[in-house]
Amino acid sequence: MIIGASILMVWSMAMPLQAAPAAHASGPTHPEAPSNFTRVSQAAVRAREEGRQEDAVRFYKQALALRPNWKEGMWSLSTLLYDKTQYADARDVLRRFVALDPDPGLGWALLGMSEFQTRDYSRALDHLERAMAQGLGGQKEVAQSVFYFAAALLNRFERFDESMSLLIEMVKSGQAAGPLTEPLGLAALRLPLLPSEIPADRKPMIRMAGQAALALEAQHRDEAEVLFSGMVTEYPNEPGVHFLYGAFLLDVRPEDGVREMKKELDLSPSNVSARLRLAEQYVKEQQSDLALPLAQEAIQLDPKRGPAHMILGEVLVAKGDLAAGIRELETAREEAPQTVRIRWDLLRAYTSAGRSEDAKREKEDIEKLSNPERAQ
Amino acid sequence: MVVAISLLAVALAASNASSAGNPRISFDQIAQQAEAARTADRTNEAIKLYSEGVGLQPSWSKGWWELGSLYYDQDRFAEAGASFRRFIATARKPDPAYAFLGLCEYETMDYDRSLQHFRMWAGRGWGGTSELIDVSLFHFALLLTRQGKFVESLYLLATEVQRRGRSPALAEAMGLASLRMKNLPEDYPAEEREMVWLAGNSAVFAALEPNDFARADEYAHRLLVHYEHTPNVHYYAGTLLGFEGKKDEAEKQFRRELELSQQNVAALLELAGVDLEQDRLGEAVEFAKRAVELEPGNADAHHVRGRVFLAMDQPQQSAKELELAKQIAPDGATIRSHLAMAYDRLGRKDEAKAEMAAFTALKTKEEVFVPPGEKTKAGKPPRSTSGPPE
Repeated sequence: MIIGASILMVWSMAMPLQAAPAAHASGPTHPEAPSNFTRVSQAAVRAREEGRQEDAVRFYKQALALRPNWKEGMWSLSTLLYDKTQYADARDVLRRFVALDPDPGLGWALLGMSEFQTRDYSRALDHLERAMAQGLGGQKEVAQSVFYFAAALLNRFERFDESMSLLIEMVKSGQAAGPLTEPLGLAALRLPLLPSEIPADRKPMIRMAGQAALALEAQHRDEAEVLFSGMVTEYPNEPGVHFLYGAFLLDVRPEDGVREMKKELDLSPSNVSARLRLAEQYVKEQQSDLALPLAQEAIQLDPKRGPAHMILGEVLVAKGDLAAGIRELETAREEAPQTVRIRWDLLRAYTSAGRSEDAKREKEDIEKLSNPERAQ
Repeated sequence: MVVAISLLAVALAASNASSAGNPRISFDQIAQQAEAARTADRTNEAIKLYSEGVGLQPSWSKGWWELGSLYYDQDRFAEAGASFRRFIATARKPDPAYAFLGLCEYETMDYDRSLQHFRMWAGRGWGGTSELIDVSLFHFALLLTRQGKFVESLYLLATEVQRRGRSPALAEAMGLASLRMKNLPEDYPAEEREMVWLAGNSAVFAALEPNDFARADEYAHRLLVHYEHTPNVHYYAGTLLGFEGKKDEAEKQFRRELELSQQNVAALLELAGVDLEQDRLGEAVEFAKRAVELEPGNADAHHVRGRVFLAMDQPQQSAKELELAKQIAPDGATIRSHLAMAYDRLGRKDEAKAEMAAFTALKTKEEVFVPPGEKTKAGKPPRSTSGPPE
């Protein structure tokens, strides 16, 4: 992974460049004499190839003054500036670069990473997501860096589940787990910090949470349990710790899981996720009366959270209040139309309510969601 | 910056020289082509054409507006700012452009000018689309925090929270202001991020749920557990408790803050205020004196000291302090009302009358600071696709 500087080699290889730009290189015809541009741009390329970075930067700037839309020059200059940790300058060049040619994901990627370094995190995340959507030309190392930064930022913007999913994808793709431990721990504990922002006294706890998440992903359940229970012993008063252990236990020993979730709620009464997991468990155990207030409180605390409406819908349907249950499930569907579980809930609820047309439509949607290719 | 604008204008004029000299292409044709390119999302071509258009006709305010907007949408803030300046110079009613100019200057780190232009925008009625208002108000508040105007900043941010709901960015901004950190989100120490996040969440939930402080207290508790010895943490806790009407507990927190950081002027002033309410004037005068000594340029310190002297029936000294406060903050409405009271007690009736009139006028003026109450959704910086103001 290329998280810090020294990316020049990788990025230069990632975006094919002309070794020595021809006089008619990209950009409109310019009144400046072509020989000047050719001479300076070739000097820039030569300096870059010979590792004379200061000279290369100077020559690229001169060449770009002569031909402002020289894309290859902009790209080379931006990678040089990034490598020299002149991130704001790299960012400004890259903004011009992507304005001229918005297609290459690599341009957006390096722009996002430059913005990350200048702590313009909102734009950084936008641009890294755009890079991922547009593709990174099969450049594995570049992709690893981009995914890492994106996962860290998703977490900082409290998109914990998306961050966790991306990190797990990275682990599954065979990426070394070491550097991912802290981001995983942060996402698991729902702490919106970058790894560099972790206070020293909280590092061991966050690393433990990350290691537990990794163990769980690797199906090493015994190891995961040792880590989770160790966290509870060492950090009994830290928000998020009992929730993590509880979520693990609900799948293994539900009674113990319920106990941990209750401890979490004692410690952090506004924890919506703990309420929802507990309510879900009560629905499974057919204890709708216990589930109902938890689901209602979850919505009160976070009215926009789709899963809260889903759980409340499930609880209400389980209690036989079909009309209210369907209303909640429809709200959940609006928030998260791709979530198949909500669609199944609705299919069953519509069927029970005798709304066969609606049930049929849900069934069709479920098929489309399950087989997106066949649906096209 | 003036140099930069002039250079840009020269560059634009130079780049248009060929069109200008070409009798076959008229300004109207260029304007039409520019508009067509813009509406067809051919941004780079539109930029080129608008540049040519304003080169041919520098008073073409619509051209400057569109050019500024197109550059802004490409995050090219230096160029966008230069265009909005020209727009302001040429348009009849350029009000929203002040906000755009402020945003561009924020991005190019020209913070003092940015703040100045946000103030001008606010003074002219907070014009613009709801999206522009949201993003400008947010950046305005960030700059107020940077300048140490924490109360003003929190006022704006709380308004935003109530309109848009909580967002991570608003929480961070409120955290900085609540902890009285003269920082922007992009320049405070990384190790303080969690502290800012905790304080910010507490402040956000206090603003969102003014009748139920459970969540605000939960985050404040976490803040105190982890950052008990960090300056301004107890001050924030005291402010929250005061907001909740728990005056005794608030006072304890302010006193704890003072134990930790004896030179915390904000805590001294809060305690002087508490003492004033409880008629403990001996301690109040000590706290106010210390505050003034620590920050002689702080209008609030002189104001509180003036109020204490007034309560001690020492109108002469009170007037002296309040005059100093007025000198530092001539727009402070309540300073003027207290000064009126001091003059009245001294028998200086005309001056008292004048200060009361100033108080009334400033009170009205302060209301200008209240942003429009329209409902807006949370969003990223606006894409400036709306039409130009006149």
